[in-house]
Amino acid sequence: MTHEIVHRPYPRGRNRNSPRTRAVAIEGRCGEGRRVQALMAAFCAFLVFLFLMFANAAHADEASVRAIISKFADAEGFSQVEKVIDELAATGDPLAVRTLNALNDGKLQVKRGGTVYIEENGKFLDPITGEPVDGADTSGLDKVKIKNSLRRTISAALSGMTLMAKDPAIRSQAASTIFDSSDASQLEALEKALAAETVPSIREQMEEAKASIQLFNSNDPAEVSTALGTIKARGNRAALALLSKYAASADGELKEQADAAISSVEETLSMWEAGQNVWYGISLGSVLFLAAIGLAITFGVMGVINMAHGEMVMLGAYTTFVVQELIRTSAPGLFEYSLLIALPMAFLVAGGVGLLMERSIIRFLYGRPLETLLATWGVSLILQQAVRTIFGPTNREVGNPDWMSGAFTLGEMSLTWNRVWIVCFSLAMFVALQFVLKKTYFGLQMRAVTQNRRMASSMAIRTPWVDAMTFALGSGIAGLAGVALSQIDNVSPNLGQSYIIDSFMVVVFGGVGNLWGTLIGAFTLGIANKFLEPYAGAVLGKILVLVFIILFIQRRPRGLFAQKGRAVEA
Amino acid sequence: MFTKAKSSMAAFATLLAVSSASVPANAEDTIKVGILHSLSGTMAISETTLKDAMLMLIDEQNKKGGLLGKQLEAVVVDPASDWPLFAEKARELISADQVSAVFGCWTSVSRKSVLPVFKELNSLLFYPVQYEGEESERNVFYTGAAPNQQAIPAVDYLMNEEGVERWVLAGTDYVYPRTTNKILEAYLKAKGVAEEDIMINYTPFGHSDWQTIVSDIKAFGSAGKKTAVVSTINGDANVPFYKELGNQGIKAEDIPVVAFSVGEEELAGLDTGPLVGHLAAWNYFQSADTEANAEFIKTWKAYIGDEKRVTNDPMEAHYIGFNMWVKAVEKAGTTDPDAVIDAIVGVSVPNLTGGYSAMMPNHHITKPVLIGEIQADGQFETVWETSGLVVGDAWSDYLPDSKDLISDWRKPMNCGNFNTASGKCLGSTPAN
Amino acid sequence: MIFGHFLKQGLASRYVQVAVLILLAVAVMVPVLNLAVPPGNPFHLPDHWVPLLGKYLCYAMLALALDLVWGFCGILSLGHAAFFALGGYAMGMYLMRQIGSRGVYGNPVLPDFMVFLNYKELPWFWYGFDNFWFAALMVVAVPSLLAFVFGWLAFRSRVAGVYLSIITQAMTYALLLAFFRNDMGFGGNNGLTDFKEIIGFDVSAGSTRLGLFVATALFLIASLVIISSVVASKYGKILVAVRDAEPRTRFIGYRPENVKLFAFVLSAAIAGIAGALYVPQVGIINPGEFAPANSIEVVVWTAVGGRGTLVGPILGAILVNAGKSWFTGVLPEFWLFALGGLFIFVTLFLPKGILGLIGQVKASARARREKRAAEQQVLAE
Repeated sequence: MTHEIVHRPYPRGRNRNSPRTRAVAIEGRCGEGRRVQALMAAFCAFLVFLFLMFANAAHADEASVRAIISKFADAEGFSQVEKVIDELAATGDPLAVRTLNALNDGKLQVKRGGTVYIEENGKFLDPITGEPVDGADTSGLDKVKIKNSLRRTISAALSGMTLMAKDPAIRSQAASTIFDSSDASQLEALEKALAAETVPSIREQMEEAKASIQLFNSNDPAEVSTALGTIKARGNRAALALLSKYAASADGELKEQADAAISSVEETLSMWEAGQNVWYGISLGSVLFLAAIGLAITFGVMGVINMAHGEMVMLGAYTTFVVQELIRTSAPGLFEYSLLIALPMAFLVAGGVGLLMERSIIRFLYGRPLETLLATWGVSLILQQAVRTIFGPTNREVGNPDWMSGAFTLGEMSLTWNRVWIVCFSLAMFVALQFVLKKTYFGLQMRAVTQNRRMASSMAIRTPWVDAMTFALGSGIAGLAGVALSQIDNVSPNLGQSYIIDSFMVVVFGGVGNLWGTLIGAFTLGIANKFLEPYAGAVLGKILVLVFIILFIQRRPRGLFAQKGRAVEA
Repeated sequence: MFTKAKSSMAAFATLLAVSSASVPANAEDTIKVGILHSLSGTMAISETTLKDAMLMLIDEQNKKGGLLGKQLEAVVVDPASDWPLFAEKARELISADQVSAVFGCWTSVSRKSVLPVFKELNSLLFYPVQYEGEESERNVFYTGAAPNQQAIPAVDYLMNEEGVERWVLAGTDYVYPRTTNKILEAYLKAKGVAEEDIMINYTPFGHSDWQTIVSDIKAFGSAGKKTAVVSTINGDANVPFYKELGNQGIKAEDIPVVAFSVGEEELAGLDTGPLVGHLAAWNYFQSADTEANAEFIKTWKAYIGDEKRVTNDPMEAHYIGFNMWVKAVEKAGTTDPDAVIDAIVGVSVPNLTGGYSAMMPNHHITKPVLIGEIQADGQFETVWETSGLVVGDAWSDYLPDSKDLISDWRKPMNCGNFNTASGKCLGSTPAN
Repeated sequence: MIFGHFLKQGLASRYVQVAVLILLAVAVMVPVLNLAVPPGNPFHLPDHWVPLLGKYLCYAMLALALDLVWGFCGILSLGHAAFFALGGYAMGMYLMRQIGSRGVYGNPVLPDFMVFLNYKELPWFWYGFDNFWFAALMVVAVPSLLAFVFGWLAFRSRVAGVYLSIITQAMTYALLLAFFRNDMGFGGNNGLTDFKEIIGFDVSAGSTRLGLFVATALFLIASLVIISSVVASKYGKILVAVRDAEPRTRFIGYRPENVKLFAFVLSAAIAGIAGALYVPQVGIINPGEFAPANSIEVVVWTAVGGRGTLVGPILGAILVNAGKSWFTGVLPEFWLFALGGLFIFVTLFLPKGILGLIGQVKASARARREKRAAEQQVLAE
């Protein structure tokens, strides 16, 4: 954006002697009609100017910032709002930060004639101090509209003001904004901040930001060359963007140097990209694994072709929705824990429905696996339509708690938190399930019943009870998966349908009756899919994976980890 | 939640009433209106709302005294997101229920599926959804946007206001995105955008793993030129797409995404906090600040019994289409399809954004084009709009095979695809 | 001679005889009730019923085809809709080529969707489809070939039971995704539609509809007789032997894989023909037909009617679909509840389907009679 016009109507400086009372007085005097107001503002500004000159401080004071802020009230259209922002930017005064942030968040409320408030949670705050305003006149307030280009202007303005902020995170943010924008008007502020900066990593960022400005504004080839080196050393996407932009307009030796820098950065990035791809594969695999693991129990261990499995996942997701709704209405403070609360609830809801299903339908169908397919398909249709009737056919909003949103970078890889947690969650679930199956008495019974029902029965194991519990466990786990999937996918009545086929593929590919198979199957398919995707496209990639599974089953008709023993042929 | 259940029970009861009342015996007493929207299956997510909107409009009209002195009666059927079933249900509505007009369809394929039926049985279809154009039929009225009423203004906005030079055209792999992207590609190239500055990507329906594509977009955007994404991604796939965008930190200030299929209804399933500033191009936003709209929203919320329900562009299209039909029937004095087809061209009714929309001879309507930015509350804020109304263009000027085609259903031309170069009406001769 | 034997064998079962008679009667009565009885008469069959009934018969044919492999060979195919759709696509391609220059762009060769997707020439796999005989050949050949390759691979490696079901599902799912792709050249999601003519007849004319209906009924009768005679033949006995005890049949010296393969290919061919008849009657073919849910529904029709009875699946397909038509018109929001409930009810209480129920009732009546006779005998003694 264009920020070359740098107004400096007020000398910079710091003045701690500007009590609020005076600002209010000025505001009062200035608020009588626009022309008068403008005149008064100019006059006030002049007075302030003189005052500041003599107070030996080179920083705009609160009153002048307030005077500029009050201009928002009468700015018409985006271009005038932009002018006011530029004016605020020119003061470089951190006092404006609160207002600009509010503007960015759409919280700035104004009324013609210079009234400006920040609206937050129904309270009206002073735009500079952030204190609630007593007896605020809230009638006829309008929000100041902004758009993307203004947001960029605001963040550029903020970067200059926050370079010296107390919070290192904000300083770092400011530096990287300048790095991206190469905004020459920030050079002065940047140099001042550099001189004062003590944290080495932020210093480095500021040096890079400075290099970015020099790259486009300096006439000294040596300086540009150094800048190129600095940016090349940064070696990430943002650096690549700057370098290619520079290379497009450069010529001669510098262009060569820029091109070399570009290819070096690209090389680094392509290595990271492979890593990134593996990560995407792992994360897709974890989603597949989550979707399939419940099925690995109901289908894999019990032999029930559970077509309603997807709907169990859906029930889990809807439980999350209901839990979050309740939290929103009755205890908003608990929102961050909503998922943790939803987990046991989802397990109970889906497990309960599973138990009901087993007792009322499936127990009559043991030994007729293909018929369980029909009955459970019927159940799935009923559950889908029931959810549609109760919650409506549209998507429901399930929010991400803060710890599930955003991303962090590992080298040049960016890992999103929700995916990281889902990978962790799926592995945790695997370990827990293995524990239940291998180390608990219930698990022992379960394995006994699946391996030899009659023998187990004669060893005084209540096989119907074990069946019911096993099915409930599988369904409950599907419900848990639903909680996780609600974080990355639609929560709609169709949710289950979209996972059911993939789940079956994973279980069959991995080998029925073996959780390790499901785990390895899911991750193999996930990674294979992600490596095919860049070459074949998302659709063709998926088709190829399906064809691969079909052919693989020909080679190993019982999957990756085939079950052995007498139970198999039964 | 429980009110929802109650309202569907109420809907159930009314449906029972409707169905028991829909025996041909009292066909004389009422004018029947068919509603052909999926209530189950994958499209129910979008279409159920339109069914409710239509029932509301019919209800309102009846409160005003009906039409031609008769009450209107809605006949609701469920084509269950099954495309051949759309044709079957359309046939049933027209032949068995004797409806005077049908309001329905969402996807292109459902429209294509019912087209032959409407032509054969000579009835009327009002189609409320933005679509790919390249069609103009005597029996169909397109009240949604054609590409020139949505896609091209949006691209213009990005080019002029945001200075975008590099474009990602991302869509679901079906005919609407394909055609829209073809048109946009031709348009961008005509504006001097180089081949390597356009990236086109298609994904299957319901695509849920957007990691790779979003990171590709990020990489494509780091070439030193301002980049934007033009998204024709369809309904269900949008939620995971936007979630991924938000999480990977693609901010609207850096790489704005302008969508043509994301409205208030789709955003209702999303936390829009991280998406503030991403764009959508429509002909209506719920946030439109007009009296007619305020009234519409109030009636809708009261009708549906849910304060949180939103309105969206296809609902407005039905609102316009329904009022146009009412006005044309009044003008013609009959519901006879031929008379209505003749009467409706030129009919102009108020839209909800403070202007009037008129039915054009090509059976498309005039609309304003609005560009809105997503807000944290799930609404859009209009940041730009066309100064006047845009006439829907059935045949794109940017596709080589359709640039010579025009459509005019008035006599004497009476042709949906008249080739101005050869002076001939192409393909099938007009009905009758 | 052979044909006579075939026919005799095929019509041996009482059920089949009744079904053939009823179908013949339907094939005659539908045109009569539609044309000869004036509208307004309660016995008049409205025009819109004709394609609807035709559709039911196509579905019945598909269910019949599935019954051959599931009921008699134990192969639960969850991908039969794929064969149906492939047959439908072959027919659809023929119908598209018949549009000729009547498309909206007036292009004499390319269908409309190719014109606006900038195809310059017809893709190679569309060649020949302007001839009816070629299309008719493909209707049978393409599904059969797919079934042959798939079955040859799967049966030879002894993939069976649930695994087989799942990979047939994978097959139809892969085809679904493939046909959704616009780059495949089959019209993507929109599929093929807006047909004009079939072998010179206007597809939207009432007489053509009746003709198609009668043709469907005749094809259904023919398939029923063929399958029933195959089942009644010596080969049919081996088929059932494979279903009930594959290893034993193998040890006796048969090759179960070949036995299965034949049934699978025959079944696919019949499904393909059903699809080809379906397309001109409903007026559209699109990838949605490949959806795995559709294949599962076919299984349900078969189960409802009674698997392994041949006539049952026909009955089941017609009843379930008639129910669907009725529900989606009258109680749209409750259709899925009804369908789901039906699935559960049938699997729990009617494991042999409706026809099985009739058989059960008969059997129990007979048992009662015999018991009474025995008692009387005892008394007499």
